[in-house]
Amino acid sequence: MSRSYKLVVSGPVGAGKTTFIQSLSEIPVVETDELATEDIGKEKTTVALDYGLLTLDGVPIHLFGTPGQERFDFMWDVLVEGALGLVLLVAGDQPRDFPKARHILEYLTSRHPVPFVVGVTRQDLPRVWTPEDVADYFGLPQEQVVGMNATSPTSATLALIRILELVTGERWQGVW
Amino acid sequence: MSRQEELQGILRELRQAVPEITGVMVASTDGLSLATDLPEAEAARAAAMAATALGLGKRIAQTSALGGLEEVVVRGQAGYLVVYAAGDKGVLAVTAPMGANLGLIHLEARSAAAHIAQTLA
Repeated sequence: MSRSYKLVVSGPVGAGKTTFIQSLSEIPVVETDELATEDIGKEKTTVALDYGLLTLDGVPIHLFGTPGQERFDFMWDVLVEGALGLVLLVAGDQPRDFPKARHILEYLTSRHPVPFVVGVTRQDLPRVWTPEDVADYFGLPQEQVVGMNATSPTSATLALIRILELVTGERWQGVW
Repeated sequence: MSRQEELQGILRELRQAVPEITGVMVASTDGLSLATDLPEAEAARAAAMAATALGLGKRIAQTSALGGLEEVVVRGQAGYLVVYAAGDKGVLAVTAPMGANLGLIHLEARSAAAHIAQTLA
C-alpha cells in the first residue's frame, strides 16, 4: 500500500492557516473564504475548509485547514477524522488569542488523540513571542513548538517536517 | 423599516406561503445569524452550518463548472434542509419534514432569497 498522510492545520482566526497551506501546496488550494462581517483584522475568513496537497520524497501529504472561529467547531471534528497529525498555528504577535488556541488544541486532542506541533507564526515581526515562550505557555516540550513564518515555503516545510517526524517516529531523511 | 424587520417580514411571508416549512434562517455568508425563528441557542450553530454548506457548495459548483451556486439540498430520512444563496452576502436556510412539497419550497424560497439579497445589498 502506498503511503500518504492526512494532516490537519488548525488555530485561531488570523494565525496563518490558509497562508501556511498556500505556501506548501503544489496544487491550487481549495479555499472556502467569505467576506468577514465582524472586525477580525482581515477581510475574509474560512467557513468550511482549505485543502492543499504536496508530495515530500514521493509521499503525498494532504493538508486540511479548519475554520478558525469557534462557531465552526463542527468542522474541526469533520476534518480531523482520519488525520495522522495536527499543526496548530498561533500568531506570535497575538498573545490574546493564545487561550483560544489552547481551547482548540484541547478540543481536538481530547477527541482525537493525534500527534501535534504548535507553529508560532509571524516570527519575521520585531515584537513577537518566541517558540520557547509559547512552549512555556502551553506547557509543552520545546521540540513540539516551532517558530515560523507561514508565508515562507521553506519555513512552512520545516514545520511540516517536524510534525511528520512526530507522526512517523523517525527523523526525516529526505532531500528537500 | 429596519433591515432586521425587513428580513423578519420576508421570513414570515415565506412561512405563510409554505406552512410545511418548520424553520427558517437568514445568516451572513460568514455564518452569523441575521434573522430566524429558531431558538437563540440553536441559531448560532445553524447559521455557521448554513454558511459552511453554502461556502463548500460554492466551491464544489465552481470546481465542477456548474456556474454560480444557487442552493444546496440536504435530504435526510426525516426531512430536508435547503440552503439558498441570497446574493453575495447572505444565506437563507429552510427546513421541512419528509414528504413536504420541495418544488413549492424552492419556488417560494428562491423568490425570498432574491428579496433577502436586495435587502442585504
